[in-house]
Amino acid sequence: MQNLMDTKTLAYLNMYAVLGTLENLCELVPEAADLVRDAKPISIGFDVKNGPSATLFFKNGRCRMEQGCGACDVKLPFSSCEKFNGLIDGTVTPIPSKGFTHIGFLLKKFTPLTDVLGKYLRASEEDLKDPEFLATSTKLMVNVIGVAIAQVANNDEIGKFSADHIPDGSVRLGIHGGPSVELAVKNHRILCYKRPPEKFRASMMFESLETARALFDGKLNALEGVGTGKVEMTGMCNMLDNINRILDRVSLYLA
Amino acid sequence: MSKKYPLYKTTKSNEIYDRAVKVIPAGVYGHLGAAEGQFIPVQRWPRFSERAQGSYFWDVDGNRYIDYMCAYGPNVLGYNDPDVDAAAMEQMKKGNCTTSPGSIMVDCAELLVDTVASADWAFFCKNGNDATSGAILTARAATHRKKLIFFNGFYHGVAPMVQKIDYPGVTPEDVANNLYVNWDDIEGFKRVVEENEGEIAALIAQPYDHGNFYDNKFPKEGFWPAIRKICTEHGILIIVDDVRAGFRLDLAGSDHYFGFEADLICFCKALANGWNMSAFCGKEELKAAAASLSYTGSYWMSSIPFAACIACINKLKKLDAPKLFHDLGTELTEGLKKAAATDGFDLRTTGAPALFYLRIANDDSMMLHQEWIAECVNRGAFFASHHNHFINASLTHEDIAQTIEIAEDAFHTVRKNHPELG
Repeated sequence: MQNLMDTKTLAYLNMYAVLGTLENLCELVPEAADLVRDAKPISIGFDVKNGPSATLFFKNGRCRMEQGCGACDVKLPFSSCEKFNGLIDGTVTPIPSKGFTHIGFLLKKFTPLTDVLGKYLRASEEDLKDPEFLATSTKLMVNVIGVAIAQVANNDEIGKFSADHIPDGSVRLGIHGGPSVELAVKNHRILCYKRPPEKFRASMMFESLETARALFDGKLNALEGVGTGKVEMTGMCNMLDNINRILDRVSLYLA
Repeated sequence: MSKKYPLYKTTKSNEIYDRAVKVIPAGVYGHLGAAEGQFIPVQRWPRFSERAQGSYFWDVDGNRYIDYMCAYGPNVLGYNDPDVDAAAMEQMKKGNCTTSPGSIMVDCAELLVDTVASADWAFFCKNGNDATSGAILTARAATHRKKLIFFNGFYHGVAPMVQKIDYPGVTPEDVANNLYVNWDDIEGFKRVVEENEGEIAALIAQPYDHGNFYDNKFPKEGFWPAIRKICTEHGILIIVDDVRAGFRLDLAGSDHYFGFEADLICFCKALANGWNMSAFCGKEELKAAAASLSYTGSYWMSSIPFAACIACINKLKKLDAPKLFHDLGTELTEGLKKAAATDGFDLRTTGAPALFYLRIANDDSMMLHQEWIAECVNRGAFFASHHNHFINASLTHEDIAQTIEIAEDAFHTVRKNHPELG
């Protein structure tokens, strides 16, 4: 337990778990894909001093993220992790260092796209009453949380302590009949793949979208969920124990 | 599934659990609950017991289990042992929780001092955590030092100072004085001692590595004498956490079993056959430090558990319990391994036979192991998925034979469910 979050870890989480989920948003939400479908192919680089660096590529209504921003059309530099985190929480307006002619894409396409992402990741009670919205929002949350676990495990000091106790191998995290991700552990670092693993040493599966949602929203405790059978754990429980501890940190960062 | 051992139903258990979860955090929290107890899958396990006798307990659905967890250790002579319970009932007539403690506390301390090789005095409390925390406080009070060494994979109770930085409710400050060394790593231990010269109050350790997710490991030859020597040279006290293994390896203490002497030693589980008490014992030169502690509790000097403890220790001595546990544990584990091999399973049994740890080594995920354990539990042999087990003195050869039969049946089922194993 630690009250203070580490701003650098938050920047990595914001970059890969939050902005990285634009990839999935464009796949799952027609409204998002439509926003960028007719635009010319374009890439936006985010370059954070002493922090993460990644580029979002948009083409034909699809989006993908790559690490680094050496070859981007628009480059958004941030002088610190705090400034970049400000972009995500809406308190900082970035100024491009490259690609001023594409400012229209940033304002008319990218900003509305992140608004759609926010609608799904910080969903209102009203929106969640729609089963289709609930399903999409929860699928996106599985990806966000999977990537966030990896970022907290690799960057946060307490997260690293937990990761130091996880042996090598893959962990499946997901929802029965729904999406799953692979958390691949090697030398106590975690990489998240946004698809289920072919083989895994441990698995934590939620019985339904509603259970996953309740857990993500802090309305259900994982230990209670195991007792009621709503959360199913199998395999190397020591891997899951430590991932649960990291998950506890993730909820602090995503709150 | 054989007709002889049909699968149990746990309907009533689950109904009560549904009530429990509404009024008790996690329904059943801690090591007796589904999450920490690793009930995999949860539907196959009983949640609540109705009664217990000898080596068995019956769940609320009326299913009988041959119990190899022994309430996680306290059942050392058999549930409701007549001699221990008679002593407890006799004391109940005289008094239990009283303003002046019963003199039987002194009798109990004298017996412990006579029994435990390294003990010159005994300090009584209730749970294992009270004993380990009390021993740590004593070590810090005596040495005026703050740091502690732990062997990785440790468990020494639930006080914040012995938990880990990533545990809920624990702050970095709670564990700021904790140093970690790998088990059996004498050089690593020496390095940590030298890097923290004059700051380390104590090493707290179990007598051997009975971690929960890997084969249990005895110390390599010369390990404990080497650690004893380093600690003595650097003014570091050794606290042996004998809460789990105490009296099951050696009635004189597990340090005695492994050929060294602890400065402080903690007991709980096997002290009083389920009557609630714990104790930490120590060397004469630490008695003043223990006396200086602000450390007490409402029920710590209750007399009934002392009466039970005296009866329990005397009976353990009479039975030569450590030998009995070793022999029964060996008979069981050899039988289980043989049953496993018949179906092509590689069952590893590690640790002391009295506290045997089981692991099927055919896959690296432990899923086959978890399936087999669930099949055993659901037929009436209560094992834990990933924890050492406990032998109690009331276990019979017939119980062991029946357990092996259940295990065979369970192995056949797992084998049948996994044609890919060939």
